[in-house]
Amino acid sequence: MHRRSWSAELCGSSRAGESRAGGSAVPGLVVNKIAPGFLASVLNGFPDGLVIVSGSSGKSTTTKMLVAALRAHGVAVFTNQSTANISQGLTSALLEEVSLSGRIHGDMAVLEMDEGHGALISATLNPRVVALTNVMVDQIDRFHDSDMVVAMLARIANRASGTVVINADDASLTGLAERLDGPAVIARYGVTAEVLAENPRGLGYSLTASERMPAAGGVLLTSVSGRSASVLLEGASFDLELPARGVHYAVDALTAIAAARAALGDRFDAATACSAVSTIPPVFGRGEIVTVRGHRVEFVLVQNPASFQLNVDSLEPGLDQVLVAIGSDVRDPSYFWPVDTSALGRVLIASGSKAHDIALQLAYDGVIVDRIEPDLGRALDDFLALPDPVHGIKTIIFSADSMRRTRAHLGLASNREG
Amino acid sequence: MRALTILSVLPELLDTNGDAANARVLAQRARWAGFEATIVPVRSLDDLPSKVDAIVIGSGNDSDLLEARDLLAPLVNALRAWTTAGVPVLAVGTGWELLSWGIELPDGTVVEGLGLVAGRAVPLAVRATDDLVVESPFGRLVGFENHARSYVGAEASVLGRVLSGMGNGAKTEGLRMGSFLGTHLHGPVLARNPGLADHILSAAVTRAGGVYVRSERAADVDAIAEAATDVVVSALSLTADS
Repeated sequence: MHRRSWSAELCGSSRAGESRAGGSAVPGLVVNKIAPGFLASVLNGFPDGLVIVSGSSGKSTTTKMLVAALRAHGVAVFTNQSTANISQGLTSALLEEVSLSGRIHGDMAVLEMDEGHGALISATLNPRVVALTNVMVDQIDRFHDSDMVVAMLARIANRASGTVVINADDASLTGLAERLDGPAVIARYGVTAEVLAENPRGLGYSLTASERMPAAGGVLLTSVSGRSASVLLEGASFDLELPARGVHYAVDALTAIAAARAALGDRFDAATACSAVSTIPPVFGRGEIVTVRGHRVEFVLVQNPASFQLNVDSLEPGLDQVLVAIGSDVRDPSYFWPVDTSALGRVLIASGSKAHDIALQLAYDGVIVDRIEPDLGRALDDFLALPDPVHGIKTIIFSADSMRRTRAHLGLASNREG
Repeated sequence: MRALTILSVLPELLDTNGDAANARVLAQRARWAGFEATIVPVRSLDDLPSKVDAIVIGSGNDSDLLEARDLLAPLVNALRAWTTAGVPVLAVGTGWELLSWGIELPDGTVVEGLGLVAGRAVPLAVRATDDLVVESPFGRLVGFENHARSYVGAEASVLGRVLSGMGNGAKTEGLRMGSFLGTHLHGPVLARNPGLADHILSAAVTRAGGVYVRSERAADVDAIAEAATDVVVSALSLTADS
């Protein structure tokens, strides 16, 4: 039931290139050369405006939750479904939907934007709402320190005409909000002192704000337990189901609820939003449990030191079958060293092209590493051939590159959620 | 022998690349060799213990240069006394630069340093972000550099010769003055380069009244480090273990 789309008309010859490239960026590249204003004019043309989600970590989950919340309110939403958080990929995603008249069906657009690329293309965009997740030390080769990330997010936030939604616990973002010179008002979300105290290492932000947001200040996370959480909003408490264990998923849900509230205004209904964000399926590779070769296996994706620490801390203690695989996407393995991995206790196999580097860190953290096997395919085969563990579940902790290779090796659907 | 005391200076502000991990590396190697070791995080004068056996300072964000310098300033007399007395110091990146004569910024302004060691940091035309391999008296050193300044004025007292990468510029890397070592090799340089770690640890253990001998556990872990650094060196087409 696909409408006849621009991509077929305009870029038919590059469809083969698309599959060869393993992504959706090629037709977008072509159109960006043919009609450079296309992206901005379509994105700025939605009747209920454009919402941008950006920040260091949690963008994909937050975007998905936000889209679910908006759709539950009856809003027709266009969003970038795949790993299309760069401009070529974004154009390709639009081409899938746009008709020959250049119109696109939908009331509102919700886009996940990488903070780097977002700053590059956002000068032409006019978002109504910009929701910012956090500032963490992330992708250190590209954004060499958190100051640069804050500057890029500020450029995106200054484009907002309606509301900038910020994490009140992240001091980089509260500072950014104070310096905004655009027309937007600020909306906040945050956690209680009790929730913060349950995470003695903090929530992973480069700078944590010294004070907690009062209940009247916005959307407040009051408790997290396993896959359940509670939020307080306009004096009423609501329960949430999270896509996986971990306080960071609860904060993603909080971001999505606060952004939905900003985007919907009077139409916002807290109960509808909370029940919608609770329905999203587990994100691939982040606490996802799959059955492979007759065994249940939990996949845990670590994208930066903060998510590594939060994931290690939220794993069930005493797991006796853990594989850790770090690939070439981690250009400089130094940056994982602020993470305390000692809670892992024992790792059966360290793998990936950075197998020795991660094994070295584990060894200094007092973790027993039984085997170092840089060949990920062999490591996976041997790991999965072991009988089911006595305690817990087979657990594979991997970087994004190792995740893609793992999924390919095991014949699982590729991760389209980036 | 008394327990070893390892200072980790400004571990929150100066840990951008995991450099504070170097204190953890020294403490673990000491424990594996049968010694007790304590890491003391230092944020102000009040945190300074009476006896110190090794000092580790990491690298931070440029926007924190003045704050870090002002926090280090009250500590510098104690650092000078310990350095003069032979306490080993490892200073990485901006932590090292702040203890020099000063840091020149691209706009021409200068962040005055604390003058503990000779030399100054001056802007590079292009940021150096890549593997860095150095030939040194402590063996081949392999790590990662990510900095926007070279280091001049201490060419006679370098840590080693650059085999690949930028280092100080002019094919040299780091600073070695008495027991003070400065380097651009960021992150867990002591884990990846156990020869350098054991040079520092031997000096620390000797000060505490013991004799350091590398443990079997450390030898096993060092084999992992060697494999990790060999991957880098072979990718650069340098001769392995030159």
